[in-house]
Amino acid sequence: MEHTKTDPAGGNPSPPTVPNPPAITRRSLIGSGLAALVAAPWAKSLGAVHGLGAGGSGGGLTGAGPGGRPAAPYVRRGLPQEDEIVLGVSAAFSGPSRGLGTELYRGSMAYFNEVNENGGVNGRRIVMKLLDDGYQPDPCVANTIELMQDERVFLLFNYVGTPTVTRALPVLKTFRDQQVFLFFPFTGAEPQREPPYDEFAFNLRASYRQETAGLVDNFVNIGRRRVAVFYQNDAYGRSGWAGVREALARHGETIAGEATYTRGTQYSASMRDQVEILLDRSPDAVICIGAYQACGAFARDAVDLGLHIPVANVSFVGSENMLQLLQEGRADPNSHTRWLVNSQVVPSYADTSLPAVQEYGELMERYDPPPPDDVERITPNEPYETFPQSFVSLEGFVNAKLITEIIRRMGDNPQRSGIEEAVLNVRNYDLGVGERVSYGPNRRQGLQSVYYTVVDGDRFVPLTDWEASFGMP
Amino acid sequence: MRVHKLFRKTRFSFFALFGVIVLSVSFLSIRTVSRELNEEYVSNSRSIAKNIADSSVDILLNRNLATLQSLIDQFVEIESIRYIYITSDTGEFLAHTFVPGIPDEILAGDPSSTETVERSLPGMGDFIEVGSPILSGVAGNVHVGMDKELLGIKIQRAVGQQMYLFGIILVIGTLLSFWFVSFSSKPLADLMSFAVRVAGDGKVSGEEDVLGRDDEVGELARLFTHVADGSTEGDGGR
Repeated sequence: MEHTKTDPAGGNPSPPTVPNPPAITRRSLIGSGLAALVAAPWAKSLGAVHGLGAGGSGGGLTGAGPGGRPAAPYVRRGLPQEDEIVLGVSAAFSGPSRGLGTELYRGSMAYFNEVNENGGVNGRRIVMKLLDDGYQPDPCVANTIELMQDERVFLLFNYVGTPTVTRALPVLKTFRDQQVFLFFPFTGAEPQREPPYDEFAFNLRASYRQETAGLVDNFVNIGRRRVAVFYQNDAYGRSGWAGVREALARHGETIAGEATYTRGTQYSASMRDQVEILLDRSPDAVICIGAYQACGAFARDAVDLGLHIPVANVSFVGSENMLQLLQEGRADPNSHTRWLVNSQVVPSYADTSLPAVQEYGELMERYDPPPPDDVERITPNEPYETFPQSFVSLEGFVNAKLITEIIRRMGDNPQRSGIEEAVLNVRNYDLGVGERVSYGPNRRQGLQSVYYTVVDGDRFVPLTDWEASFGMP
Repeated sequence: MRVHKLFRKTRFSFFALFGVIVLSVSFLSIRTVSRELNEEYVSNSRSIAKNIADSSVDILLNRNLATLQSLIDQFVEIESIRYIYITSDTGEFLAHTFVPGIPDEILAGDPSSTETVERSLPGMGDFIEVGSPILSGVAGNVHVGMDKELLGIKIQRAVGQQMYLFGIILVIGTLLSFWFVSFSSKPLADLMSFAVRVAGDGKVSGEEDVLGRDDEVGELARLFTHVADGSTEGDGGR
């Protein structure tokens, strides 16, 4: 299809809603080329590979996904069409953290499916253009450039991870005249919440600073003042580490000990060294800032090596993925989960008293969105097993619900230039999660609540009594 | 043959001289290459540390440690850099690249010092660590650890290439010296054979090759013939 040439910042007539990219300079060309060259071996275009056909319209896929489920019908497979709003997604659909990108996507798809099957938003279907970055920064940078320059997406959505987002933010700043915003990244880190990049992103979830502060406050309240940190040695881990440090400082404490692991570490890896480092520091609790594979391995080895203290994880960990690893193949499934306490940024998916959670449950059951249909191609012999419900997919669902509302508010002819105003006009909006959402010039994060959960059987449930569960002996 | 024995000394002297030259040049070369690579290594490390320090000022002032970590993660992808850590003005470790934790040797060190030091970290190896102050040290310090083992490999590789070249030159030079000595001693050997025949029965053929030479060897051969002829005539007159 053709795109009408428009002024990047100005409103243009329907249908093309996406302004042209700025003139390509030698510098930008070299920069993009180098980034693409560096990232080429990792970057896998999910959409491009499978070319979800449907006459190039991006809709109406008739194929079947894994397990006989219908494949995702609203995944973008070509250039934007007139009746579409294309959201660009770069996330982990392969590698040790693929469960996060996949579940986030599934939650969003459940909502978008419902919206699109009911006529879309102001007559336009919402579709996602998916690119896999494997939770690696360089491919994420290349993907972001591709989504903005080649795919001409309306906005960026559902990015996964701090090290990836941190590196993508300068790209948004570089192409700021295109007015492409990043919406609701799956990270609670500070870089997209603070200058100089806060103006390019809108967050929905609470921050790691809030999550870690809540965990520290609760631990200190029950007498567990010596808090250690186990973290992924990158921007994500450092962000959480900084949150713990700040929170402890407010209580007059410092980090009791710290141990790190390398991003991409698998569950099969030994965390003996890390556990022994922390054992030497005799902490009262450990806060983990990591992904489910490594944090699962740490929780396993901590129990095995006698570190019997609360082991907390922040929301990014992917609670269900970690629980599955820790319980799989054990005679006593709860032998390694007794000490887990995970913070969440969405309410429990079991709390159906909340309208959004009830809707999430219904739509997840109705659509049961399959993973992007080439996940199994990316990681051969390791088919991904989806979860009926999870905190991550609920977050994806809530993200989709709010972005749909924002697009709806932009009217029949949504323009990039009108996105920021539409978001800033969201005030006291009831998303159905028990907390109203508001944005403002100095408020780039919609939700503030943090929830705490512990394992009960085969799922995480709300933690009601810290003292009873984790009080000092 | 006596003549060859004479040249054997020349050959040995030639070989010995050549060997001494090769060994001396190699030794000098090893020292020069090692020193210059080492200096370049440290210089590069200092540049990287300074670069990080300069880039860190705003990030530190904004207390954005995630971005700071992201910054050093990019630098640590450089092959020779094995670790980076950034300390605050009070010596607190604000960002680092150590897994599974900060080594005790680093923790025990003086984080405010930016002197170049050599470190041996158990389980990690030997390193040259350089430092650079952030905002003259009031905002903290950057420390960069360069892999000495990698430096050693680079030196070995550079020196090895030179030694290989010298070795080839030595072998070729030795073979050439053998050929040259053999080539030079052949006329003398021929002259000696001729002299032995003259001294034996005094009969010489006028077609001897050695008599046809127009150099000193030919003249000596003709002189031998003349002396031999004179001697024969003298014996007949008596």
